[in-house]
Amino acid sequence: MQKFNKQLFFTLGLGIALAACSKDDNGSPKGNTGGEGESKGKSRYVIAASPVGSLGEAANYLVTADSLHTGTVTTTGNGIEQDGYRYYAFHKNKLFSLLYGQGNPGAVTAYTLDTTGKLTRVANLLTETVQVFGKVDNDLLLVKVPRSGDANAGMFRVNADTPRIVGSNTINTINLAGNGERAHFTGAYQVGNKVYMPYYTIKGITGAVFHTDYTDSTWIAVFSYPGLQYERTIKDNRTSYIGYYFAQNGLKVTENGDIYAFSGAVQNGAGVKPSTKPSAIVRIKSGASDFDKSYFFNVQEKAGGRHLKAETYFGNGKFLVSFYVEPGKTEGFIQWAVVDVINQSLTWVTGAPPSSAILHVSMFNSVEENGKTIGVGITTAEGTWIYNFEAATAKATRGLKVEAGSVTGLGKLKY
Amino acid sequence: MKALTKVHTYLLAGILLLLLPTITQAQHTHFQGTVKAHNTPIIGATVSLVNTTYQTITDENGQFIFKDVPAGKYTVNIRFMGFEQFTKQIELPLSKALHVTLTENSEQLNGVTVEGKNTVQTLNRQAYNITALDAKKLHNTTLDLSHALDKVAGVRVREAGGVGSSFNLSLNGFTGRQVKVFIDGVPMDNFGSSFQLNNIPINLAERIEVYKGVVPIWLGADALGGAINIVTGNSYRNYVDVSYSYGSFNTHKSSVSAGYTAKNGFTVQVNAFQNYSDNNYWVTAEVADLASGLYYDKRVRRFHDNYHNETIIAQVGVVGKKYADRLMFGFTAAQSRADIQTGARMISVFGDYFRKGNTLLPSLKYQKNDLFVKGLNVSFTGNINLGTEQNVDTVARRYNWLGEFSVKPSPGSERERSLYKFRNNNGITTTNISYKLNEYNSFGLSHVFTTFNRKGSDATSPNSQSLKQPRKTQKHILGLGYKLDASPKWSMSVFAKEYLQQNTSSLAYTVDSLGWGNTAYKEQTKSFTKTGYGIATSYYITPKLQLKGSYEKSYRLPENEELFGDVINLEGVDTLRPESSHNINLGVYYQVPTNDMHRLIVEANFILREASDFIRPGLNTNGTKQVMTNQRDVRNTGFDAAITYSFLRRLNIGANVTYQNIRNTTRFENGAKVESAVYKDRMPNMPYLFGNGNAAYTFINFGKKGNNLTFIYDILFVEQYYLRWPSQGTADTKYIIPRQIAHDASVVYTMKEGRYNIAVACKNFTDSNLYDNFSLQKPSRSFNVKFRYSIYQ
Repeated sequence: MQKFNKQLFFTLGLGIALAACSKDDNGSPKGNTGGEGESKGKSRYVIAASPVGSLGEAANYLVTADSLHTGTVTTTGNGIEQDGYRYYAFHKNKLFSLLYGQGNPGAVTAYTLDTTGKLTRVANLLTETVQVFGKVDNDLLLVKVPRSGDANAGMFRVNADTPRIVGSNTINTINLAGNGERAHFTGAYQVGNKVYMPYYTIKGITGAVFHTDYTDSTWIAVFSYPGLQYERTIKDNRTSYIGYYFAQNGLKVTENGDIYAFSGAVQNGAGVKPSTKPSAIVRIKSGASDFDKSYFFNVQEKAGGRHLKAETYFGNGKFLVSFYVEPGKTEGFIQWAVVDVINQSLTWVTGAPPSSAILHVSMFNSVEENGKTIGVGITTAEGTWIYNFEAATAKATRGLKVEAGSVTGLGKLKY
Repeated sequence: MKALTKVHTYLLAGILLLLLPTITQAQHTHFQGTVKAHNTPIIGATVSLVNTTYQTITDENGQFIFKDVPAGKYTVNIRFMGFEQFTKQIELPLSKALHVTLTENSEQLNGVTVEGKNTVQTLNRQAYNITALDAKKLHNTTLDLSHALDKVAGVRVREAGGVGSSFNLSLNGFTGRQVKVFIDGVPMDNFGSSFQLNNIPINLAERIEVYKGVVPIWLGADALGGAINIVTGNSYRNYVDVSYSYGSFNTHKSSVSAGYTAKNGFTVQVNAFQNYSDNNYWVTAEVADLASGLYYDKRVRRFHDNYHNETIIAQVGVVGKKYADRLMFGFTAAQSRADIQTGARMISVFGDYFRKGNTLLPSLKYQKNDLFVKGLNVSFTGNINLGTEQNVDTVARRYNWLGEFSVKPSPGSERERSLYKFRNNNGITTTNISYKLNEYNSFGLSHVFTTFNRKGSDATSPNSQSLKQPRKTQKHILGLGYKLDASPKWSMSVFAKEYLQQNTSSLAYTVDSLGWGNTAYKEQTKSFTKTGYGIATSYYITPKLQLKGSYEKSYRLPENEELFGDVINLEGVDTLRPESSHNINLGVYYQVPTNDMHRLIVEANFILREASDFIRPGLNTNGTKQVMTNQRDVRNTGFDAAITYSFLRRLNIGANVTYQNIRNTTRFENGAKVESAVYKDRMPNMPYLFGNGNAAYTFINFGKKGNNLTFIYDILFVEQYYLRWPSQGTADTKYIIPRQIAHDASVVYTMKEGRYNIAVACKNFTDSNLYDNFSLQKPSRSFNVKFRYSIYQ
């Protein structure tokens, strides 16, 4: 049982992931204009947690806490019940709860904190079930990526101030891939007035849907915004593809406008050709139209042969990066390091629970405004806590106790 | 496993030998008649041939029949509570049926001890905890079998929509595939979507037996939470029953049953039925604006929910022969087509997606009592379903509840593009041998064998290797039982069962030499062997007060669809283990002593069940489909109680209530060392308190002698329950399945003692929003009228 669940969670890719819930790019104070009522400068953390009853019966409950460092929150008798498989994005001082409804319609439910700091539902709308979501200007950009059948991916713009669908377009993923397989996006990121969407390719045939022969290249598709017109693909072949299925992380624009992209160089997976390239970090200089050939951070070498899994950005060139513990593998237990992409240095994190003791790790993490710490929900046999990872010291400290079986994600809202 | 298959072959060969006609054949005859008093048929009178084992009970028309009685001299004895016994010497064959009129016994007012029991009551009083529903009383209604079952204490049928919609049966807290359903003792596992409880009209059944807990070995299969056996009517030699109903939402239902038995024993039986409905009932839905996606509430009609099925079951054979009491060759042909209006929630709306299927099922039934020696009874059944099922989702549109749609790029789908068509080649044989050594001791041996071998293809991906991989199971369940009838007061059964299963599937792996991405498959086989056992006993404290008790350690083997998927929403998991449970059942049956004008019966059942390795649904790794997993231990302490009262056959009032306290007993989950927050929590999304009530009044000889007019009222109550763990989250934000109170009313007029019948019914006459499943609204108010013609001989 234990083994099964571990495998489940890790193959799910529910490792740490950045996605849309870190602070705004560059930490700029824009946004927060669409909140309900005037902000009094107070804030509160929202944590999406599941009670222990796993699989089909467990829902997420949205609970709130004033600090990630101390105290206890529980889902027992507390929290807003979420319907179905949900993923989360924080944008424009709202929490967007996205329903993952298979090929069925998805839904977007938006919440804010009211003037008393109570989490309140403000909108509910029909969308498609999406595999990719990102924050672009005032919008939440949702992308439905087909894994078989129809090859057209649907892209939808949902206004985050007054939540509703405001535009859409499609892209043919077979034509985009051009290698006989189909492109499958791993995330969507605003870069200036464009949207960058890294992808990998999959066969998309029944029985071999996620199989692929192409794991030695890097692709980022560039789209205009808000027109969502495909413009070009930025390619490279020094490492493998960026991100992974449902990653919502793997590409980050730093304060000076440089883009860093992270590849785990996949080794394991049914029907997946193991990459012959190292797990690495590559760069696109600010304003450049191609990868910076002078920059190649072979992080696998630095990490003793370990492949990276996912990243969350502290700021100032420093990332919290998870690695697969066993060298040469892209499955199994994980451990963390603070990685400086500018100095190309790596410091293993201390203070986190032993890798083999970890049963579950949150998918979406909270970055403190000052970029000093990142909060990650970690579950072990002893229970679930928010661990606060510090950029400067590479130390993780156990903070808020969450009486729940797992934490899916966390973030901060102002009121 | 191989050896077992061999054993099975021998068994089959043995049975086939038994089928061979034997040479000598004494003259046998049928003996039939009617029993009346004051020109009214007497139901439940005991008719016996003195000093023989021939004994039966009169039916609702006062009729009785003994089949296949050797010619000769007999004494016939007829008894009924409150009447003088009737005794007469006869010599069979008689030239015509025996008509008997009983005279009242003046003793009756002083309290009578002789019980009148019909078959249904007799069954209710077996050692097993069994409730029998007399389906004949419902033949004038438009109910299908699943709705009829819903009236039994302890049973809850949760339906997703209108006519033909999917349903989930729960019995004492067990649901879905944990509850086995049989027709005449044959498991219904392989009948296909075109021949299911939700489309079989009640007129096909004579009675429905609901076993709570321990299931007698002759039913044989691996029932975990009890079983349901539908007994079709075949107690008459010649009959015709024709009915047609029309109702709201353009619903047409008709059925024809006819049987003929010639003097030489040749017999033909045909059952045919049809259902058709647009199911365009009113629902309160969240309508999404196509452009903005924003939801708003509106009352709308369902627009893509047409359902129809057509089914014919034909059987030809002989009865009352020396070599066979009954030997029937049958063929069931059925087809159905259902538009799919919604997904698992009303929020998923479809406008083109549909499924269709057919059933082509040849069958064989053989039965012989007193084979070679007196008391040795054998029966055998076999069938195989060669029908196909298909899901068609090829239209790339996104609908809303107004029937508006946005067009998605083609080729695409509404949900998951599919033309997958498959055949399960699912066959079943059942074999029962019983031997009654003497008045006190009998033995039974039963064997059920099922085979499953799915073959299918999808025109949208014709070259898929994975669809060509083996999906096979073979299952044997062998039961051995002993029954002791120590005295008229006390009887007891003990039994043991052996469960065997062998599953063949294939494991995908990548072959280096072929290059990456080239997947090869290797066949893998898994086998299980488990042993279960149990005991059931019953004791009469007084002739009107009976106690029953049973214990069983039972197993349920994973079903084919759980292992290999249903190709729609269920992904196969070929590593599932059998689930098991300990069951204790206690029951009490009490007929309150009253004078003969009143009849008051109280029944109550108590259940304690500890289940482990429960096979429960979860989600697959990317959340797109359900998978079944062995998880969680569960305890159910529950009871159900029923009370029925009748006055002079004119007034009938009944009520039942079921309470199931089903708690999660898994203390530590997912490898955690801290106690689970939902330990001891009530299992979510399962009704736990529900009941039925009904009242009927009949005006006898209304308008004309032999015509009756009956007014009927039914009420259903289901308490609100939570979709998810009750203890978790803030109460007012939780998703619930609201309390359900449904009222139905109907009027039935029967003429010529039941030959012509007209019924008018209104279901849900308060037009409430009713839910069995989260968000899936059931039909709004509906009216229907049913005409029925019935003649028996």
